Amino acid sequence: MSTKKITLLSSDREQFIVDEAVAIQSQTIKNLIEDTVPDEDGIPLPVVHSRILAKVTEYLTKHANYKPHNDAAKEELKNWDVKFLGKLDNNTLFDLILAANYLDIKGLLDLTCQAVADLMKGMSVEEVRKLFNIENDFTPEEEEAVRKENQWAFD
Amino acid sequence: MRRHHHHPTSATSAVDLDAAHHQLQRGKKRGNYSCGRCGQPKKGHICHVPPPTTAIPMTETFSSSIVTPAPVFATPSPSPRHPHSHLRRALSFEENTSAFQVSDAEEEKFPMEIESDWVEIGGLPMKCLWEVLRRLPPVTLLSAAKVCKGWRNCTRKLWRAAEELRLKVPARIQVGFIGSMLQKCSGLVRLSLTMESDLDATMLASIAFSCPNLEAMEVAFSDRAVNRITGDELGRFVAEKRSLSSLKIEGCSNLGCFNMCSSSLSTLWLSDLYSLSKTVFNCPNLKEISLDFSRSENDSTDLVTMVDGLGRSCPRLRKVHIASVHLSHAVVLALTAANLRGLRMLSLVLGSGITDASVAAIASIYPNLELLDLSGSCISDSGIGMICNEFPETLSRLLLALCPNITSSGIQFATAQLPLLELMDCGMSICDPSSENLSEESTLNNNGVRKLNFMQKTHNMPSSKLHLVYQKLIIKHARLKKLSLWGCSGLDALYLNCPELKDLNLTSCINLHPERLLIQCHGLENVHASGCQEVLINAINSQVCNNYSSIDDHFPTKRLADGSKRVHVPHISFPQSSGIEKGRKASRSLCTAIVA
Repeated sequence: MSTKKITLLSSDREQFIVDEAVAIQSQTIKNLIEDTVPDEDGIPLPVVHSRILAKVTEYLTKHANYKPHNDAAKEELKNWDVKFLGKLDNNTLFDLILAANYLDIKGLLDLTCQAVADLMKGMSVEEVRKLFNIENDFTPEEEEAVRKENQWAFD
Repeated sequence: MRRHHHHPTSATSAVDLDAAHHQLQRGKKRGNYSCGRCGQPKKGHICHVPPPTTAIPMTETFSSSIVTPAPVFATPSPSPRHPHSHLRRALSFEENTSAFQVSDAEEEKFPMEIESDWVEIGGLPMKCLWEVLRRLPPVTLLSAAKVCKGWRNCTRKLWRAAEELRLKVPARIQVGFIGSMLQKCSGLVRLSLTMESDLDATMLASIAFSCPNLEAMEVAFSDRAVNRITGDELGRFVAEKRSLSSLKIEGCSNLGCFNMCSSSLSTLWLSDLYSLSKTVFNCPNLKEISLDFSRSENDSTDLVTMVDGLGRSCPRLRKVHIASVHLSHAVVLALTAANLRGLRMLSLVLGSGITDASVAAIASIYPNLELLDLSGSCISDSGIGMICNEFPETLSRLLLALCPNITSSGIQFATAQLPLLELMDCGMSICDPSSENLSEESTLNNNGVRKLNFMQKTHNMPSSKLHLVYQKLIIKHARLKKLSLWGCSGLDALYLNCPELKDLNLTSCINLHPERLLIQCHGLENVHASGCQEVLINAINSQVCNNYSSIDDHFPTKRLADGSKRVHVPHISFPQSSGIEKGRKASRSLCTAIVA
């Protein structure tokens, strides 16, 4: 196993030094390593802030070093994920989705999107708008049409 | 599912097999296409060539990907992977919070162009929003459409991309709601309904109308819901759905008669059948059939005629499962007369009229069976002898639960003579008739009640042979993975040397002597021991633990002293053993003795 180190550079020019095996779990970073001549400061990730990149590397480090072989180990990894999510506020969670999407880390994208989906369960439409900071852009007529189109038995 | 009605232990395995078998067939159906990346035949091949990374990875790669039966809950895969090679985007939801599930496994393409990938809707790029929304329970997805225009668009696309829908239909629902829901998903291929309201012809027609491409449909019923579908209605549905290949319906007590006519149907499971007056099968491509009849003595179905017709018109059958208390030797003869060349799995359960003569008939016509399940039959050790003589090259699963006439020597003979055996179920076979009270203790769950009823019936059957009380069983087998001896109250001594054995069921082996138990199975993962004596449980624990200490002396054997009786061999706590891998020489897997 190679212990080659990779330096990642956040949008605010903070350096993160991680093992190559950790970094290449991100398909985007893997491609960058293969395709570009390394900058001497490290690989620039201009859309990821250091606050988020710290979280991303925390996740990647755990998942690179931890290859579950049996159910107990899988269970432990799952518990770690739950704890990891528990420490995040909603804004960080959304930023992590964006970062996971940009860096192409499927596991993290799954995890964070599931977390947001879980948040939405049981929320009213208005609460969802608030969570996502969305304006209602329907006209009253449209709203009625959408309501009809998407009603369920006990609405 | 259906099989839980009797011998629950074998049921799990049998259903596993069903699933595995089903997958196998799916694989086969797609044929020998070549791998798109390396050009080798795709069948049984895992491509190591990384997929092409193109600028628009979201369009091409997904469209042809394999769809496996969706697990109920897909966990994020932490392993490093190719970016899109085994993306399995099953929409999956926790059951408890949602009334139903959408699962659009492989929702192949995220249907936007790459430019729109970064179009933001409410702070999230479209692709991320898609990722979030597809994880919502369908009811929440419906209300998500009301958030704003962009979300409405996205949910519409999601519904259209859905291939699989799992829906729990609440009680007293209007049929129109199901229809309007299904009409959103025009691409639906697999539909799985759990009915809490009755299923009637209108709803079936609504399904037929809304899902033109339906390939697989599964309908289960909760306790209070009734399946009102008649045979005529079901027959019409099957005939009209030209792409339907798999149909599994529970609660078919109102069918009356049916005429199944379909060239696409390959899997048909019907359960709770009752008094069918006429059955016509016209399904030339049917490969798997499972007919589960109600346990009622009053069931008047003419099984001989039914099986005769089935054999004539479905020449490609690979797997046949029939459960009925009216199964007889005559039914077996009708089945053997059909001479189904492809038959590999045969399961005729609960038929007390099935005898050693039936075994002889089966063995002479179908020498290539891989699975034989004659649970609940009257076969004896000589029947087992015939099985051993005919199937040593093929048989990997043998289920003889609830067969009161077999003894431990027959079981022992079978394991000695069938080298390919991986699963053996002899539950409730070696019973001590004097310990009737055992059955009351062994009612662990709802299924247990049925088990008990059946057991008492078998005891009332005329049995020419005396039950041996102190029976011993010695099994040394290189391949055996699952062994079930649940309720074998006549078992006194047990010696096992099976390196591959993973599951051992000793539930309610009340007369098994702790000093006459020797388990030498290093791969053992689970031992079911509820209803056993305390001393026996201790003996099992210490032997399972001894497997460890024999390898590493300084490992303390650990038993839990509390009343839970659930004992884990503490395996993770030893750093030396944490790096085990399955199948390696030094493997010492986690073993659990499960005591309810």
